[in-house]
Amino acid sequence: MKEKQLELLIIENNLNLNFKIGDFMAHQLSIFVENKPGKFEKITKILGEKDLNIRGFSVASSGDFGVLKIIVNNPEKAFEILKENNITVSIRNILAVQIDDNSGSLHNLLNILSTNNINLEDCYGISVAYNKSAVIIIEVEKYPEAEKILLANNIRILNDSEIYSL
Amino acid sequence: MYWEESIETIKRDDLDKYQIKMLNILINQAKNSTFYKKRLFNYEKINSFSDFQKIPFTTKQDLRDGFPYDFLTIDIKDVVRLHSSSGTTGNPTVIFHTKNDLDEWSNLIARCMYMAGVRKEDIFQNIMSYGLFTGGIGFHYGAEKLGAMTIPIGPGNSKRQIWFMEKFKTTVVHILPSYALRLYTHLQEEGIDPKKDLSLKIAFVGAEPHTEETRRKIEELYGIKVYNSYGLSEMNGPGVAFECEYQNGMHLWEDNYYAEIINPETGEVLPDGEEGELVLTTLKRTAMPIIRYRTRDLTRIILGKCSCGRTHRKIDRIKGRSDDMLIINGVNIFPMQIEQILMKAKELGANYIIEVQKENFMDKLYIKVEINNQFFNGTLEELERLQKHIIEELKNEIGVNPIVKLVESGSLPQNEGKAVRVIDHRK
Repeated sequence: MKEKQLELLIIENNLNLNFKIGDFMAHQLSIFVENKPGKFEKITKILGEKDLNIRGFSVASSGDFGVLKIIVNNPEKAFEILKENNITVSIRNILAVQIDDNSGSLHNLLNILSTNNINLEDCYGISVAYNKSAVIIIEVEKYPEAEKILLANNIRILNDSEIYSL
Repeated sequence: MYWEESIETIKRDDLDKYQIKMLNILINQAKNSTFYKKRLFNYEKINSFSDFQKIPFTTKQDLRDGFPYDFLTIDIKDVVRLHSSSGTTGNPTVIFHTKNDLDEWSNLIARCMYMAGVRKEDIFQNIMSYGLFTGGIGFHYGAEKLGAMTIPIGPGNSKRQIWFMEKFKTTVVHILPSYALRLYTHLQEEGIDPKKDLSLKIAFVGAEPHTEETRRKIEELYGIKVYNSYGLSEMNGPGVAFECEYQNGMHLWEDNYYAEIINPETGEVLPDGEEGELVLTTLKRTAMPIIRYRTRDLTRIILGKCSCGRTHRKIDRIKGRSDDMLIINGVNIFPMQIEQILMKAKELGANYIIEVQKENFMDKLYIKVEINNQFFNGTLEELERLQKHIIEELKNEIGVNPIVKLVESGSLPQNEGKAVRVIDHRK
């Protein structure tokens, strides 16, 4: 769907439109890892052997263990392969938001979310083209609502394949 | 419904009389052994159980000290088999059997299996170790006596286990509870749903302590009935006590064993219903009778009649072996109490390890438990909540503050035999 069309659609429907959730959906793999040498490496090895490319990642740690979050091309395939290797993994919906790589654009995005009372559960950035654009991965509780608000504010949301084609 | 109706539903009075008669025969027979000749020279005829309860206990140490033949009552030419403990610490405990002793034992196991619903038509896959260990061979002969086709496969090699289950449509298994849980992950890996793709109906679990929660977990995963059994090699092995279809306590076969519950500290015999150490006497074994044997297993007699109609009293699930008890900063803890909490949380896997060590003169209790892959939602918050919850539950149950470490699925060592769950670094 083209951005222009969408915009019109949103204006026409006064924000209450029922677009299919998932049109803008991207996926992140969340992996349970113990905080020990070699644990992260085990994951990158499995993915690397299957030519799966990690586009971005973040680690949330709680002492002895943590959750490794990765954005990868073909998340479903990666999910299956990790499962086969008896890795504790889950696939989660996230919003991948494209912003300009310049000062003030991250502030702008966060401002839109906070004024609409959307709380971020987690958030991390991937710089995809130096000086041009960046992708911010956000995890929110109010997923569909956040999606609608961002679209209404002309923020571009990427799906899985779009993240990798940038 | 019954394998031997007249024996299984015998009137209590008749059973009591029968036991007194058998105890007298036993005492006379036992006097033929070096050990009991000395021990029993004061005891002639007994007329009541209180007479019998004056005889001193026999302990594991007595059996070790009497190695190899001090408990044997007959000529070696009439012995057809021995079973033995591993004897890693000191002399092994060796038990001898005549042909008739083995027949009695096999019949007892057939009775147990029949009670749980096994019939001639069933296919029985025996996933227990064969050899000196009594669990494998005991069930093997019991199943054959009952008439079920028996696959003597033994433990391990999960691929082959599954292959046999599929090809021969196995309906009954005898398996270590820890292996049943592990085998399930292999089934998952091979894309086999035991509920749909296999013909299993019944599993007998035993040989290692486990909780009610573990049993229910196995039942749920496989969609089968799991029966708890109790036995110990000194009392032949499996078949001492067994669950009926009501699964609330194990009928102890009182035509074969005389059971008492005692206070382990004082040796005083406790009334039915009170928890204590189980003390057993063989009533039918000729080659090697054992009188008032301290099993070190803690349980109680369950009061009341069983709906199945059997009159043999029931014992509760073994709470723990008095040897298994851990003392942590002065608090007594049984590993089973910990397992019970861990098995209740579906977010946790079945594999865990308890470690105790001294740090700054204080005992520290570490519990490592694997995460269940299927219930991971991908957030750190959920994991932290789970960890907190488990610590809280454990603290309430055992009164000690444990350190709980969540570990990756499959990362804890797996044993082919009995699972090693407790490592005490203080020893």
